Amino acid sequence: MAQTTQPDYDAFRREVRAFAETHCPSEIRAKVAANGKLGRREWSTWQKILHAHGWGAPSWPVEHGGMGWDLRQRHIFDEVMAECDCPPQYHHGLRHLGPVLIEFGTPEQKARFLPGILSGEDWWCQGYSEPGAGSDLASLRTAAVLDGDAYVVNGQKTWTSHAQEADWMYTLVRTSKEGKKQEGITMLLIPLSSPGITIRPIRTIDGWHHVNEVFLDAVRVPVENRIGDENKGWTYGKFLLERERLGGANIAPAFKALERTRALVLSELSAPQERMKRDLLLHRLLGLEAELLGARQMGQAAIDDVMSNRPLGLTSSLLKLGTSALMQQISEVALDAVGERLASRFRRADTANATVPDIEWVQNYMYQRARTVYGGSSEVQKNVIARQLFGS
Amino acid sequence: MSYTAPPLLAGDAFELARRVSLALDTELAATERPEDRMVCLSRHWQEVTALGWAATLVPEEAGGVGGALADLAALADGAGRAAFALPLASSFAVVPCLLRAAGARGEAALAALAAGTMHIVPLLPPVAPGADAPHLEAGRLEGSLAGIEAPPAPTHLLIPCEDALVLVPAEAGGITLTPFQRIDGRLTFDVSLHLPVTEEMVLGRGPAVPEAVARARDLGALLTCVEAVSAMAAIVEQTITYLLDRKQFGTTLSTFQALRHRVAEMYLATMNLRALITPMLREDADPSWQDIAFAKLRLGEAGRLVAHGTIQLHGGMGQTEGMPAIRLARRVLMAEFEYGDRSWHASRLLAAREAEMAHA
Repeated sequence: MAQTTQPDYDAFRREVRAFAETHCPSEIRAKVAANGKLGRREWSTWQKILHAHGWGAPSWPVEHGGMGWDLRQRHIFDEVMAECDCPPQYHHGLRHLGPVLIEFGTPEQKARFLPGILSGEDWWCQGYSEPGAGSDLASLRTAAVLDGDAYVVNGQKTWTSHAQEADWMYTLVRTSKEGKKQEGITMLLIPLSSPGITIRPIRTIDGWHHVNEVFLDAVRVPVENRIGDENKGWTYGKFLLERERLGGANIAPAFKALERTRALVLSELSAPQERMKRDLLLHRLLGLEAELLGARQMGQAAIDDVMSNRPLGLTSSLLKLGTSALMQQISEVALDAVGERLASRFRRADTANATVPDIEWVQNYMYQRARTVYGGSSEVQKNVIARQLFGS
Repeated sequence: MSYTAPPLLAGDAFELARRVSLALDTELAATERPEDRMVCLSRHWQEVTALGWAATLVPEEAGGVGGALADLAALADGAGRAAFALPLASSFAVVPCLLRAAGARGEAALAALAAGTMHIVPLLPPVAPGADAPHLEAGRLEGSLAGIEAPPAPTHLLIPCEDALVLVPAEAGGITLTPFQRIDGRLTFDVSLHLPVTEEMVLGRGPAVPEAVARARDLGALLTCVEAVSAMAAIVEQTITYLLDRKQFGTTLSTFQALRHRVAEMYLATMNLRALITPMLREDADPSWQDIAFAKLRLGEAGRLVAHGTIQLHGGMGQTEGMPAIRLARRVLMAEFEYGDRSWHASRLLAAREAEMAHA
């Protein structure tokens, strides 16, 4: 490959920052800064703005609306967005389904679905996990049987984030019980408006509504909504996850969380009689900051490795394992700062009179518990790391 | 293939230092009587002196190598692979750093250091000096310090007293040195000083001295991190080897998930600290005191996690001095107390932030 001139990364960083500061609506940034729960409204507003500027899909190939940025530029983009309290781009369409469609979709599927993802018009959710198939996803049982020009889907999905506000669900279903359990899986794109779909919210410990159970009762899905081949869905699902392996290299959101928590500790415990507690919490934050600085360097090194075609080794597992625990610990410091005042005033967001000021700190602490569970639990990451370290 | 710890700074210096350190650790592990240990340490000290390690950071015009920090760090990286029981950072980094603050008057000592004719113990003031810390008082040097890391048979003491830098022969009257051994096997002295100071003993005066003390402490902290993270990687490697080998309940310990997960945590802690240190050793790097303070703070936590992990995973063997990994663990545990422990580094970071906020 011909050596091209290296982009001016500092200039790029300034450009992204200037754009973020002038174009991201202040009410959205304020909500991000306050640990608010983002919904489709904020996310799609922001996606429309990015798309109008030509920055809708940093990670896509140019011919499909991407920008041709290199890995470091994409990383800088994500980092600066986090630093400016802009929402991260909604991942289900742009980062998960989009690349799968581009790689494995038919021309008709690309023409139908990519523009809506880019513009923020169509909203997607992911139908992977099931009551009996969480970390062990390949055990999924939701069944699809071909009946003429459509699959008939029966089963249940769970932990489905955003199903309550999405238009579509990209879904892994079982089309065969032959062979290894990974081999009988197919990926279907299912409109959530289809007859036979029932969405029921799951009451999570954080009091926010973000995940759901999705019941599929004889839902007819046209064959043209199948991605690639029947029984090859596991490959597409894995492709998607492998593309996400550097997601943990962006430590900027964790630094933002740390800064916000430090500001909270300083304001919440500003009285002279709180001095000891304040310093104790600030010391804890410093220890976490030290570890975050190490994680940031690991992320930078990982980007260098990928850009120089060196193997990534265990870095993505290490980043996931480390950063998820750090986010939890940061949220714990925040809880310790406000817990006495706020833990006793917890209300579910979906009940009336839910707006106890600052209650998001408590909700966020609860929400962070999921970090070490989703996206490959800490235990799964440790298994991966140990398997390589021990050689078996 | 199981894990092999890669060097931080690969090359001849790393390999050489690793060999020297392994030889010393192996010999020392089989040597019990204090006087025999002393003989062993002295012989190896002569060896590293002959190899010119002391000259690494001494400028060329003073007869040294004029090397970069990374050159000494490569030696620390290699030495860190075994519980190297000789002073590396203090003798080869702190001493030249302090002497350079004395300008021309420090050159003779720098040359003697590089030539291996002077064996100098630096008496860095404690991070929180007590009332009895060495001080100059009416032409006399008075005070005492405990647990000063030293080479065998030191010839001189280099003592920063506020804004003065004093070099005195170790056998001068009024100096008492009481030897001890640290938990990692290195020699220390409790030093008490009650002697008259002549002008020729004072190598330098002025703000350059306290500045050099701060710089020397940071340099020492950074090299300690290098040694420790090298030791931590070696600990991970040796722990894995042990678990792959040791059989209990009819199977090797390496098949137990609880043990494997603990190793994964030790590895993460090591790699995180390693990532934090690596950029500070690049040729164009100019780490700030804050960078170093964060690394040393991290070492305190990560080092203990790794040291405790290997002791636990070695079971009964982890309670013995016989395992190299356990000797490494003691080296890592000791590193916490060199050049400021984590509480001190955290406190100074916190104080700086507070001052910044008050200023803003």
